[in-house]
Order: sequence, then structure tokens, then C-alpha cells
Amino acid sequence: MNLRDRHLWLVIFAGLALGSLGALLAVWGNPENSGICVSCFLENSAGALGLHDNERMRYLRPELIGFVLGALGSSLLFREFRSRGGSDPLPRFFGGIFLMVGCAIFIGCPIKLFLRLGAGDLTALSGFAGLFVGVWGGLRTMVDQVRLAPARPRRGSGLLVPAFFLLLLVFLLSGPGFLLESSGGSATAHAPRSVALGVGLLLGGLAQRSRLCVTGALRDALLLGRRSPLLYGLLAFALSAVLVNLFGGVFRLGFYGQPGAHTDQLWSFFGMALVGWLSVLIGGCPFRQLIKAGEGDADAGLVVMGMFVGGAVAQSWGLTATAAGVPLYGKVAVLSGFIFVFAWSLFSREDKTC
Amino acid sequence: MAKLSCAGRLKLLLFLATTGLVALLVTAPNGGGTAGSSALDKAMERELARQARAAFVRELYAPVTELRDAGRPQQALLKLEELARAYPGDPFGLVLRAEILRELGRLDQAIGHYAQALRLNGEFLDEQGPFSRRTEIRLLVEEGLATLLPRFQSHPDNRSLAATVKEVYYLQSRLAGGCE
Repeated sequence: MNLRDRHLWLVIFAGLALGSLGALLAVWGNPENSGICVSCFLENSAGALGLHDNERMRYLRPELIGFVLGALGSSLLFREFRSRGGSDPLPRFFGGIFLMVGCAIFIGCPIKLFLRLGAGDLTALSGFAGLFVGVWGGLRTMVDQVRLAPARPRRGSGLLVPAFFLLLLVFLLSGPGFLLESSGGSATAHAPRSVALGVGLLLGGLAQRSRLCVTGALRDALLLGRRSPLLYGLLAFALSAVLVNLFGGVFRLGFYGQPGAHTDQLWSFFGMALVGWLSVLIGGCPFRQLIKAGEGDADAGLVVMGMFVGGAVAQSWGLTATAAGVPLYGKVAVLSGFIFVFAWSLFSREDKTC
Repeated sequence: MAKLSCAGRLKLLLFLATTGLVALLVTAPNGGGTAGSSALDKAMERELARQARAAFVRELYAPVTELRDAGRPQQALLKLEELARAYPGDPFGLVLRAEILRELGRLDQAIGHYAQALRLNGEFLDEQGPFSRRTEIRLLVEEGLATLLPRFQSHPDNRSLAATVKEVYYLQSRLAGGCE
């Protein structure tokens, strides 16, 4: 660890901001232990756009819009916006769908995993183990010559997803009649819109500059050990979440009675393992995909679109886990996700002889 | 007039389309005309359906409520049984059953029925909803944790008790909030 490295301090600052603001958003009105959860927010937003029929999961989350537009603003400001794409587009789209399936089984994305742990929810430990094993598995497949097609500069295509999120911002501000909003359930729990949007923009910009990514941090820790700056960002994220929850009086250590959690440990493990594995293949966790989409990566944009569809499918088909546990078809979907990952890896080997 | 290049023509078309879109939005009547009003109609339809459902449920279970109020819980349970044959799996019927069973002192069965109802419909936990049972469920969980948990700890091999404690934890988790 080089203490004079400015990037290291930027990553640590971004981690601190993500952890503290993530925990604070729950205090300001977002669902408990779910101040920031990319997968839950995508499910809510898909519902708000009328893409699924769960009446209790409909709210256009301003944080999501903030993440993408914050990353767009930051990348334009620092001249890092690069429109690029064309790397295995359709498999990435399906990868986005299965990312959401994995998150739906665990009840949360990798960021929420750490927010849950930071609030004392010990059921998230199996999810953490799964995420770690998934990242390790993804890295192993990379070692085994699995390479996705290279991305190329593509003028204009990288603008489509930021433009879509700009349109969502217009919807958020103007509230057109077709935008749906729940009258009950967890979607009604939300921080004030301006606060949520502001936090999203700030975190989007910081994440773009620092390249902060939960699965990226685990991957780098496995590859570089203590030399990885992202690892310290992740530790800062987890530590700040614990401290804010402790001082906010919402830290409750235990396995039982935790908000938005279940005790099907094996399936939490598998859900997060799928997310970890896929994230290594496609180059980042769900949050990182949003940030990359904001800085012009059309491939990440396709993953984001896949996640929207995945969120809608998971809700409409009843694949999502609840406090009661994981439904049968949710388990089937996770295993289908693994079949997809392994088949994709098999077809993407550079050296077909090994 | 100078001839436009291919790119120039496309830029002109792009400019015209963008200008047209902005002009359309700026001059559009409030609410977006007929398409906008149909979207508002949908919102009204949803609200009407919600209120109609609430009224239907109240009317359907009115005989059960009358029997309960008259202090005849056994007859109220029989009436619920009869209604359950016509409307199997209705979560409101399960909640009423849970409430009557609790009044009769059957804590374990009351917990089971509340948990079953919540799995079908999370509305009972909403603070403001017409069917809110949040306070009742919170009190039930407190009682369940105070009475059932020590019993389970001294008899960990009791399967039915273990199942009831699991349901108490489920109710506790739902009360704690978080994403559904």
C-alpha cells in the first residue's frame, strides 16, 4: 500500500461515502438495511415503468438515475467519456438478467450485502461466502483462457443508456400519468427525492473517478493481495456502514428477525456465487455496470438493460426470495444462471484445446 | 444554394426532428391530450379496484364479524370454514381466523395463520392500509418470543414448536421491514 498514492485515498473516500450514505439513506426513508441496493432499485424502477405486476414494488428510484448521470457528468468533466461496445452484446444482456436472478435470491446486490452485514445481519455471511467463491470461480475461468470479444470504439452507441436515464430523470421530475407508484409495501419507503438524487449523483461521480466496485475489490484482493487499492475502498465502505448503523442505533446483531432477509443459507450462497462469477466475466458488479454505462460503455449499458428486464421477470414470475425463503422457481432460475455462465465460458475459450 | 453533404443532411434532419419534439412537448395541452388522460384513467381504475376490493371483503366477512362481536367465536370459525370453500386461500379470511384463534388462546395456530396470510399479501403490515394488522402482529410476535422461545430452548427437539418459532421469526423479519 502506497500512502502517497492519490488514487488510493480517492478509493477510500469513495468507499467511506458509499458506506455512510448507504446507511444514512435507510435512516432518511429507504427500506431498512437497503439504503442502496441496485437490484432492489431496478426492480422498483421496472415496476414504476409498468414492466411487472407486483403492485408493492413500484417506484422510480432517483438514486439509480443519479448513479448513471453522475458518472456521465464526471466522465465528461475529466474527459474520460469513451463510447465503446460490441463485446459479446447478447450474452451480456442475458448476463444482466441472471445477475438480477442471483440478487433476487439473496435479496440484494453486493452493495446491500455489505450494508446488511454492516447492520448486524448475520444471514448475509453465507452470501458473502458465495460472492467470494463466485469471484474466485470467475477468475479461474479467466485463467482457463476464457476471453470475451474485445470492445471497440463505437461512436454514439455509448450515449444511448445515459440518454435513457436522462429520459427517466424527465419522468421523475414531471411525473407523467403512466408512471406507476405503489401505495403500500417497501416501494413506499423512500428518502426525499432531491436527497436521493443528490446522493446518487455524488456517488456516481465518485465511483466513476475511483472505479470502486465490490466484486472488483474481491477480484483484485485475490490477484494483488494487500496491494489492491480497491480492497481498502471496500474495507472503508464496510467500516463506515457499521459505524453509521451503530451510532444511528439500528445495528442489531443476529440471524433472526432481520429486515429483508431469509435463512435459506445455501441459496443465499448460490445466489451471490452466481452474481460474483458473472460480475468477473462482465467486468464489474451491478453498481459498476451502471457507472460504466454512464461513461459510455455500451456493453455495460446492455447489462443494465438486461438487469431491468431481469428485475421485471424476477417479480412477474415470482422468482424473488422473501423472508419466507426461496421459491422453487427461484432455485431453478439460479441453476439455469449457472448453466448459462458455464456454457458462455465454454464457448468463449481462446485456446479450445485446454 | 450550396449542396449539403451526406453528414450535413443527416445533421439537418436530426436538428429538425429534435426541434419538432421540443415544440410538440412545449405546445402540448396539460396532461398530454387523450393519451395522457387515459394514463390518468388507469390510476383512477386502480384506486377504484382497491376500494371495491376493500368493500367486497368487508361485506363478505360481515357475518363472521357479527358472530365474533356476539361472543360466538366457534360459530365464527365455522362460518369462515364455509367461506373458505367458496374463496380458498383468501388472505383476509386467514387473518380473521388468526384473530379468533388468538382470542381462544391458540397462540401457535394464530401465528401460523398470520404468517400464511402475510405470505399471500403484505398489505396487512402497511401502517395506513385499510386492512392493517401491524400492531396486532407486533404484539403477537412479542408474546411469541416471550413465551415460545424459552419453551423451544428447553425442548429443541420438539418439531411443531420449532416450526412455530420459525414462523415467529418470519413475522419478526417482515415487521423489521426491508425489501420484500
